[in-house]
Amino acid sequence: MHVSTDILTWLAVVLTLGIFSFLWKDNPFYKFCEHLFVGVAAGYTICVTWHNSVYPDLITPLFGQGQLLFSIPLLLGLCYFARFIPRVSWLIRFPMAFVLGWASGVAIPAALQADVLRQVQGTFLTPSIFARWDVFLWALISFVGVVSSILYFFFSREHKGALKLASETGIIFLMVGFGASFGYTVMARMSLLIGRFQFLLRDWLGVIR
Amino acid sequence: MRFFQTLLRIDRRIIYLVVAGLVMLPLVRPLGLGVTSGPRAQVLFDVIDSLPSGKTVLISVDFDPASMPELYPMMAAVMRHAFARDLKVLICGLWVTGPGLADRALSEIPPEYGKEYGKDVVYLGWKAGVDAVILGMGENIKSVFPVDYQGHPLESLPMMNEVAKLRDIPIAVIFSAGDPGYRDWIRYGQTRYGLRVSAGITAVSAADAYPYLQTGQLTGLLAGMKGGAEYEILVQKSGYSNAYMPAVAAMDSQSLAHVVIMLLVIVGNVAYFATRKRGA
Amino acid sequence: MKRNIPLVVCLVMGVSMMVQFFVPHPVSVAYYELTTRWFRIVAAFALVLGTGSLIMYHSDKIQRKRQGWFYSVVTILAFVATAVIGLGWGIKRGTILQDVIFSNILVPLNASMFAILAFYMASAAYRAFRARTKEASLLLIAAFVVMLGMVPLGANLPFRLPALVLLTVGVAVGIYLAVRNQNWRGVLVLGLLWVLLGLAVRFLFAPRFGAVAEQVLSYPNMAAKRAIVLGVALGAVATSLKVILGIERGWLGGGKS
Repeated sequence: MHVSTDILTWLAVVLTLGIFSFLWKDNPFYKFCEHLFVGVAAGYTICVTWHNSVYPDLITPLFGQGQLLFSIPLLLGLCYFARFIPRVSWLIRFPMAFVLGWASGVAIPAALQADVLRQVQGTFLTPSIFARWDVFLWALISFVGVVSSILYFFFSREHKGALKLASETGIIFLMVGFGASFGYTVMARMSLLIGRFQFLLRDWLGVIR
Repeated sequence: MRFFQTLLRIDRRIIYLVVAGLVMLPLVRPLGLGVTSGPRAQVLFDVIDSLPSGKTVLISVDFDPASMPELYPMMAAVMRHAFARDLKVLICGLWVTGPGLADRALSEIPPEYGKEYGKDVVYLGWKAGVDAVILGMGENIKSVFPVDYQGHPLESLPMMNEVAKLRDIPIAVIFSAGDPGYRDWIRYGQTRYGLRVSAGITAVSAADAYPYLQTGQLTGLLAGMKGGAEYEILVQKSGYSNAYMPAVAAMDSQSLAHVVIMLLVIVGNVAYFATRKRGA
Repeated sequence: MKRNIPLVVCLVMGVSMMVQFFVPHPVSVAYYELTTRWFRIVAAFALVLGTGSLIMYHSDKIQRKRQGWFYSVVTILAFVATAVIGLGWGIKRGTILQDVIFSNILVPLNASMFAILAFYMASAAYRAFRARTKEASLLLIAAFVVMLGMVPLGANLPFRLPALVLLTVGVAVGIYLAVRNQNWRGVLVLGLLWVLLGLAVRFLFAPRFGAVAEQVLSYPNMAAKRAIVLGVALGAVATSLKVILGIERGWLGGGKS
């Protein structure tokens, strides 16, 4: 065992154990670490936004290169801060209109193509599925699964008769899907814990080489 | 009956201690279970392995320190693979907390292969805007990133002479912990510019990626720490790297952790039904 | 005016970006590049606004001396210190922000916050995950298959025999209960289920847990997730259209002005 003598490693360890202390019970040390995290994260966001986005994309072209057209996004961006001045808070609608309009317009063809058309295309039963009996069966199961799961979410009609059968079949597939997600979520959460333990045991205590 | 009732009333902190102990134990005393690679990691490996030397792989660092244990090892393994194959690596990011992580990787990995910044690897940095960043890169990378993360103009970096837009990139490997992530790269980069997209994602969102795998919108997939371990093994077995493999080292703990959770669910249900039946 | 002009801006931007997708003319592309560039700049201000709102909240808490206001002082001090150091000395490798604040404060705090979720999940698994209904049981079975199949310990375990044994035991219990309640239809359904599932386990599913988990993920899970992807995408398109056309106006905020 070779305990680290690096003060920064010890700082990281203290903060890690501070967060872990919440597992015993809520305490001032945990609250301190939690609020420290919020403040540092917000400060880091500001720094990265300034150095990576605002300075090279706005300050340099507008004030460094004299491209006056960039005063329009500058004004739009500044309108966001009107939110803090009640008398002119309605100005925030302009940047929001620009952002929402742009993002919505760009998203529609992209979502339709990637998330609707390609997904529907992937569901079709094509002649290639007849190559082998198990490929055929799985393709059929997938097709039935997609259709029945979609029909489960169709609430415009009462689930009776054929729709009820389809809906109940859909529930089976949805439960399998959620179960798979849960299984993977267990893996994810445990991985994050293992990562922290690797830091404590390797970088701090030197128990793992 | 009293036994089952006692079981149900166990203090949660005892459960925490049991979990912590059983997760730490294999880290200190490995069980030697071994890791084999899966088909989805193999697909990505084969694609990168078959790229001609000198081509550029785009890596997007779309995660934060919370997802580091899952995504950082796989990102490191992909970078090592690319450098070992003499491919160039272009790094960017859509998450504001990504830059620090990318910077860390840049300090550790290129020197292992004697790779030079500006010639073999460039880090563009982070930009606000997600869709606008991807769409802008599709037209002209330099219009989105006039300077790199360190402030060098892109024109001054030799590597950027061969990569002007997304169509010049044979494959993008997106390491994402959620949104924004690989879905945005598929929606905007692939739909409009034909970018080939692969993904390394946290296990939480792995099950949701299968529709995109089935349609071919995703080329290969690294899911969670297991996916990282699979890629690390592939890179090591191909002789591309001898570096420490943190994801592989964690797999014994992962196995035990899963067994613990399953046992907790089973015991909890047995105790519940036993007390309920008797109670009724 | 204060509501109509933003609505018009939203409409113009939305329609123009939708149309632009299909128009490769140089003017269209130039317009697209310009607006994309502006969007990135305005998006950066939105991030700053979010941070500003956070600081306002904590400042208010300190001013009014609400419960826990001392911790808000910690937040504000941490924010100011990080921002000053980062803005003044940069964010690259070798700077205090990267080497001290990011690597040894932000990373351990952020990572630990999510690491403790593993303990909560273990506690929830023990206390809350109950197979009370058939659907919940199916969910847990699928979860177990994935959990076992996705780790080295379980990936090579044989699947067929344990699955057949469990299936037979489960169906036998079900048939016993159905016979006791004289539910002959239930007996028939269970029998049929036993035959079909038994054949599937024997011939359709792979022999080992690892490959079975892969099959579960690639087919039934994929089908369910695809249905959700389709639904979400169509919903997103519908909502986007409503925003562009001014039907959805919640983003304008309240009040006549």
